[in-house]
Amino acid sequence: MEFELPSEHRMTREMVREFCDEEIAPIAQEIEEEHRFPAEIFDALADLDMLGVPISEDYGGLGGDQLLYALVTEELGRVSGSIGLSFAAHVSLASKPIELFGTDAQKERWLTPLAEGEYLGSWALTEPSSGSDASDMDTIAERDDDGYVLNGTKQFITNASVAGSILLKAVTDPGAGYDGISTFIVDPENDDGFSVSTEWEKMGLNASPTCEITFDDCWIPEDRLLGSEGEGWKQTKKTLQGGRVSIAALSTGLAQGAFEAAREYATEREQFGQSISKFDAVRDMIVEMDRKIERSRLLTHKAATMYDDGQDVTRISSMAKLDASETSREVAEDAVQVLGGYGYTTDFAPQRFYRDAKLMEIGEGTSEIQRLVLGRELGL
Amino acid sequence: MKILVTVKEVAEAEDDFDIDGLDIDERYLEFDLNEWDEYAIEEAVQIKEDGDDVEVVSVTIGPERAEETIRMGLAKGVDRAIRVWDDAFADVGMLDPKTKADVLSAVVEDEQPDLVLTGVQAGDDSFGATGVTLAETIDFEWGAVVNALDLDAGAGVASVHRELEGGIEELTDIELPAVLTIQTGINEPRYASLRGIRQAQSKPLDLHELDDLGLEESDLESPLSRTAMYEPESEGDATVFEGSAEETATELASLLRDVGVVEG
Ligand SMILES: Cc1cc2nc3c(=O)[nH]c(=O)nc-3n(C[C@H](O)[C@H](O)[C@H](O)COP(=O)(O)OP(=O)(O)OC[C@H]3O[C@@H](n4cnc5c(N)ncnc54)[C@H](O)[C@@H]3O)c2cc1C
Repeated sequence: MEFELPSEHRMTREMVREFCDEEIAPIAQEIEEEHRFPAEIFDALADLDMLGVPISEDYGGLGGDQLLYALVTEELGRVSGSIGLSFAAHVSLASKPIELFGTDAQKERWLTPLAEGEYLGSWALTEPSSGSDASDMDTIAERDDDGYVLNGTKQFITNASVAGSILLKAVTDPGAGYDGISTFIVDPENDDGFSVSTEWEKMGLNASPTCEITFDDCWIPEDRLLGSEGEGWKQTKKTLQGGRVSIAALSTGLAQGAFEAAREYATEREQFGQSISKFDAVRDMIVEMDRKIERSRLLTHKAATMYDDGQDVTRISSMAKLDASETSREVAEDAVQVLGGYGYTTDFAPQRFYRDAKLMEIGEGTSEIQRLVLGRELGL
Repeated sequence: MKILVTVKEVAEAEDDFDIDGLDIDERYLEFDLNEWDEYAIEEAVQIKEDGDDVEVVSVTIGPERAEETIRMGLAKGVDRAIRVWDDAFADVGMLDPKTKADVLSAVVEDEQPDLVLTGVQAGDDSFGATGVTLAETIDFEWGAVVNALDLDAGAGVASVHRELEGGIEELTDIELPAVLTIQTGINEPRYASLRGIRQAQSKPLDLHELDDLGLEESDLESPLSRTAMYEPESEGDATVFEGSAEETATELASLLRDVGVVEG
């Protein structure tokens, strides 16, 4: 059992934290209010080799492990949920599956630009009428000579409007259930019949684009099929296991950001002639935050470490995601409370963490679905 | 060409702290690279990137704790690092600039650099004298408080801007080998890239003890020692104006009038 992070990991965390404090924190609220995707920040992340952390060096990545990736994601979440979410979707959902399931030629063409940060990627599973029951999808891919014709609508797709590639889940064999789903690489710039039909206004995370996308007789060549026909669902399960570790890390970061804001404020704010941190009620809230964050971080690091060791992380990644997402919402809510009226204003960060944290209990499987997964793991 | 950059890990105290004996209680300290040294490293790495066959070596006098800070320099492009330490240093406590210059001069002797870059000062002790003292000790030319540097390696000349008192700048040419003490703002220090951090894990960071440098414990005897540590009484309060430029300018104007700086 080793609780000390290796030197490379500590140094990376320190550097990313410094970058986040200097370059992201000052604009974190502004980009939410402007609903602006901060392309310049992602260019800077690309320059610092952050957009391909767990991707092989052969394809422009850093070759780091899942633990390193989790640390980077947490640090981004500590200052901006939007940037953290777009980052995590890019890495876990849009890049990693190409590395895991793609041919060398596909990796060369589609993974390298993602890992080098030339553009962001996107991953499209959810549909307007299929969310938690994700395999029950209507988007269809029909064979057409040497390619496929795509038709359907995908909902709530992170990064779709800014992406250079989208991994699309579609039905290739309508009678086959789970085994009838396949994954395709879509080029949103050049594939005719693709369009972004809506960009959603949201409760939070408004600097991270969430899109409805439509495929209307969109033809793609057959070399865009990722893996084999019918493997799409198995790939999805594997992808989400890694993805959930990153959502757990992102949630831990949101909680950490809210906690730091509350702690600092509580030591400075005075009421009844003393610092409010001296009131048991306030102190206890902050101690609770610290306890929950430590717990969620431990689960996240354990899940990441088991992932790196090649173990089955179905249970632990789901548990980490469930725990950390609830931690982030609870801690952010209490942070608003600690700041009182100021906590309710947009001049202070806790309200932003509170808005952003709520998504963590919904995306990549709702908390209800995590409990379903965990119950199944217990044989219940 | 070889550039030696002297660097130091310094302690920075939180806003509120307690004093423990002759020092600030460690609980309130955070250790990081001295700010001026960030600029010295960046300057050296830029020279390396612009020229060919330039080696950048960093040297620090510091305990094992400093290694990660020193490694961050390696991540930003320093080729290798030297850490000078020995139990004897821990016993000495405070090193004055002359003692430090003596130790560093032994490293200069080994390395034979063409250019030595130091920070103008260290954020903790703030002597601001080590660089120049080192130059005197090793008999190099020197320029202090350099805020612009144009190096002609072929001709062996560094054209520098030096920041003097009262906003005056001196432009001067300094012949190599030389020591330049680097001022903040001379460049924009980079963030280490993740790949840089990765590569830094396997770059050399060698420990030199006193023996290795041909020094003895008696060489560390310093004429200075710290006798007390206390927080000075603050004699006045700072007024911070918050708000738009118009609002704050009006507030400032009325304050200047009130205290009699401006009449009328
Ligand atoms: C900001 C944002 C970003 C997103 N990014 C992406 C993305 O990049 N790619 C992508 O594919 N999707 C993305 N999503 C979609 C997200 O994964 C889904 O919203 C989520 O899986 C829930 O699906 P749903 O919205 O259809 O809710 P529903 O599945 O309709 O759920 C509604 C409610 O019913 C509950 N429920 C459903 N089934 C069960 C059950 N069996 N037992 C108990 N309770 C149940 C749910 O827990 C929830 O409380 C994103 C969503 C948001 C809001």
